[in-house]
Amino acid sequence: MSGVLRSEWTKLRTTSGTAWLLLGLVVATIGIGWLATAVTTCTHSDCFLDPTQLSLTGVQLGQIVVAVLAVMLFGNEYSTGLIRLTLAATPRRWTVLAAKALVLTGPVLLAAGVAVAGSVVAGRQYQSVPFRLTPVLGTVIYLALIALFSLGLAAIVRSAAVAIGIVLGLCYAYPLLAAATGDPAWVRRLLQIGPTTAGQNIMSTVDPETLAHAPWNGLGVLALWTAGTLLTAAVLLHRRDA
Amino acid sequence: MTDKMIEVNGLRKRFGGHLALDGMTFGVHSGRITGFVGPNGAGKSTTMRVILGLDRAESGTALVGGVPYRSLKRPLTHVGSLLDAGALQPSRTARDHLLWLAHSQGLGRNRVEEVLEQAGLSAVARRRAGGFSLGMRQRLGIAAALLGDPWALLLDEPFNGMDPEGIVWMRGFLRSLAGQGRAVLVSSHLMGELQGTADHVVIVGRGRVIADSSVAGLLARASSGLVSLRTSSPEAAAVLTGAGASVREAEDGTLTVTGLTAEQIVSALSARGIPFAEVSAHRATLEQAYMDLTRDAVEFRAAEVSR
Amino acid sequence: MRAEWTKLRTVPAWALALPAAAVIIVLFGLFPGMQGSCGKPGSATECKPTTGPDGVEVRDSFAFAYRTLDGDGSITVRVAALTGELTDGPGLVPWAKAGLMVKDTTEPGSSYAAVMVTGARGVRMQHDFVHDKAGRKTPLAWLRLTRAGGTIMGEESADGTQWTVVNRVQLPDLGRSVVAGLFVTSPQHAEEDSNTFGVKGARGGPSQATAEFADLAVTGAWQGTQWTKQHIGGPGNGPGQGDPAGGQPGSQELTLTGSGDIAPAVTGAAGVGTSITTTLIGTFAGLIVVVVVGVLFASGEYRRGLIRTTLAAQPRRGRVLAAKAAVAGAAGFVAGLVAGAIVVYAGREVLQSNGVFIPAVPVATELRLIAGTGAMLGLTAVLGLALGMLLRRSATAITAAVVAVILPYLLAMTVLPTAAADWALRVTPAAAFAIQQSAVEYAQVANVYTPVDGYMPLSPWAGLAVLVAWTAVALSGAYYRLVRADA
Repeated sequence: MSGVLRSEWTKLRTTSGTAWLLLGLVVATIGIGWLATAVTTCTHSDCFLDPTQLSLTGVQLGQIVVAVLAVMLFGNEYSTGLIRLTLAATPRRWTVLAAKALVLTGPVLLAAGVAVAGSVVAGRQYQSVPFRLTPVLGTVIYLALIALFSLGLAAIVRSAAVAIGIVLGLCYAYPLLAAATGDPAWVRRLLQIGPTTAGQNIMSTVDPETLAHAPWNGLGVLALWTAGTLLTAAVLLHRRDA
Repeated sequence: MTDKMIEVNGLRKRFGGHLALDGMTFGVHSGRITGFVGPNGAGKSTTMRVILGLDRAESGTALVGGVPYRSLKRPLTHVGSLLDAGALQPSRTARDHLLWLAHSQGLGRNRVEEVLEQAGLSAVARRRAGGFSLGMRQRLGIAAALLGDPWALLLDEPFNGMDPEGIVWMRGFLRSLAGQGRAVLVSSHLMGELQGTADHVVIVGRGRVIADSSVAGLLARASSGLVSLRTSSPEAAAVLTGAGASVREAEDGTLTVTGLTAEQIVSALSARGIPFAEVSAHRATLEQAYMDLTRDAVEFRAAEVSR
Repeated sequence: MRAEWTKLRTVPAWALALPAAAVIIVLFGLFPGMQGSCGKPGSATECKPTTGPDGVEVRDSFAFAYRTLDGDGSITVRVAALTGELTDGPGLVPWAKAGLMVKDTTEPGSSYAAVMVTGARGVRMQHDFVHDKAGRKTPLAWLRLTRAGGTIMGEESADGTQWTVVNRVQLPDLGRSVVAGLFVTSPQHAEEDSNTFGVKGARGGPSQATAEFADLAVTGAWQGTQWTKQHIGGPGNGPGQGDPAGGQPGSQELTLTGSGDIAPAVTGAAGVGTSITTTLIGTFAGLIVVVVVGVLFASGEYRRGLIRTTLAAQPRRGRVLAAKAAVAGAAGFVAGLVAGAIVVYAGREVLQSNGVFIPAVPVATELRLIAGTGAMLGLTAVLGLALGMLLRRSATAITAAVVAVILPYLLAMTVLPTAAADWALRVTPAAAFAIQQSAVEYAQVANVYTPVDGYMPLSPWAGLAVLVAWTAVALSGAYYRLVRADA
């Protein structure tokens, strides 16, 4: 396992996009969050603003950067045929998946930590964003879970383009689709089920009653999705011809 | 090295309605180069993927050194393989490509430098593999296959895209590997590429083995037939006919004989004191032998014509 | 160009995707779960809105104390106090109104002119629902309204001696005999409420206002001496609503309590019903589809080296790009046009049969919505194509295009507060969603004008122009790379 881990780390390290994507995650997340807090003015006292969530607006873009990084890990191997060499070198395939997941999680946690903390600090310039552990820590975990979810998805569909398409759909189309149903009960139900919509509850600091899920419960839903996806990926990877 | 071998026994595999492998059975012995030949779609690559544990056969076994590939702990130290030289991350350098592979087998940087040297790639090790020509990619693939110093090598179409100089290098390189006692399986859809390289050939068509023999034996079988000689004696034809051969006479005094081997002809004519010169058996090329054997197995070419 | 059309047409997935984009938009438009109560049995309201003199749908509901004025005359009063009440306690909404009015008849929707003080918007003179002129920014004032034929003049004063004209307006529909007097009304209060399950909404409720009038004086052809009190436009919607009475008849002082609004009808939080734009909600999904088709139409050339064949057949690369853009754009436009036409007409039927009130819009607006949807899809397909040519890798290009077009829209519709949402819909390609707005924003109507309710920060054509600009930038980049780089 340690050899496979080291091997996957070497792969990640020597892919030209990795460093740029991690940098992109930090810049995009902080940048968008900073813009959102800068242009928002709250004139009257009770404008129902959640400053923490507002400062974390950039995560909406950051999650896609993370997903691209994760999807590349498998997608590129499939598009180039490299996967055969990988699996010939490591016939116990679940270790490949586990190693990829581990080497992905480390850098993503680190970059996400910088991005999220930076967003909160940047947001404090314009809004009274409180320093709270739950949304900050939770959002970092959220980004890591999105990365793992995307990784599993890429292993399942074996194509970077298809996988990123699904992640884009879940991140951007799904919430709109849920809202478009119009019926509040259905909106709530759909928002509770969706991996991204449920997980994003962690960014809210408002009254949990108004949320689809309590923050950590929402993140739990995303964690379940991620676990299910990785498990499916492991089974398929083991069963399928490479 | 001990006499370990790759054994393929009764592999069957179906892709949709198409039977890709239909009882494929053969063995690859150490110390020699085994050519694995057949038309496109005969099941060569699929067999190699099954040996490497990448694809699963519906029935039959493929063992390397007596165990399934997927049970090997550091498989590249047992079997090195080159399936698709294009399978590279274009942005990664040749050295980094070998480095991650080495790490997966618990091997270090030194081994990477060694195989780069062996494959003649040391000068370009820092270049991005995406910019490599097909020939250089084949060399990089060979380097990757040698990384674990394996006792067996599986090479799928290693001559593809190589220039003549590269083909000569590759042939010599494969010979030296076999000379070190390794088992080498080299697939090709062109028999000519293997002439003078392979010791043994496994000819396949439609997912099964058509012929499994030494190159010498195969050539002998295909050559059995024509012997030509020149003689000024008019009795020669009668003598040979009497010995059981059929003889065709050309105007310049050349006889084309079938039914006797060159040795039999020489002894028959010498016994009668008939003078002759230039006895030559028509040695068939491997290509001819192969075409004879695979004529009815060439399914794709026929299908293409009828379309 | 025909070659490019053949290329697009002959890949079955692409040929199917464009009709699919249209179908998705139609499905979203025709099956909204939105339910209303208009025309439903039971506690139904018929939802036939009052229309004003210009045929504009209006709300005309207020407490009125009036006498008949048969000819010319004027009325003067001092608004001594204006207080209000919301559902959850005392409070005055900014657009609570109290003052003087001359109105053709007591029929809701009839022509009027009024001078008034407001909750927080100072002195105003308004007439015929959509016209509004501001006076001094003062909470309380002396007011005077003078009628001379079809001309009504509104004046204000701080002390009852120094008068300033607020406005002079013409009311051509006014008969000789009109009703005139004192009025009070207070519209629904509404404010933005973020985060109901992470989706933005608004909250609010009915309100009422009470005005104390003093120093009431009239001159001219007034009939009778009794002020008739009536709640025009049916009962209002205020808490404890009902009696518009107060004060002694004939005296110089009078207290009036009212609820409602005298304004053009708006949709959204404080209005009624929903705008026809709602039926086009599926556009975002259609955009995703055309983005994917546009990108693949371009990047497909690079994946298998087809671009070399294409450029060998047409070495003038600019023309290749132009042809591809024209084909992708036209295909997207037609898909959007068809979907828009079906949705706008059929979608209204569906919403109305669900009991949702949809204000009428001019035919020109309907045509703009339909053509605009086509233009959005066409331009977005070209944007996708350009990004595909520029970035050459489909996954990257699709991600870039979706992030550029859909993400700002999503953020504006869900998590962002209005100020930030407005910016997102001003500077990004998602600004083009403005072309689909049908509701008109009135400064003098209290409402939450948010993108969610179909009120975009940019005017329709300006919004589309932003998308055109982005597409042009992407196309220039694609052209530059196509011409300069090796194929």
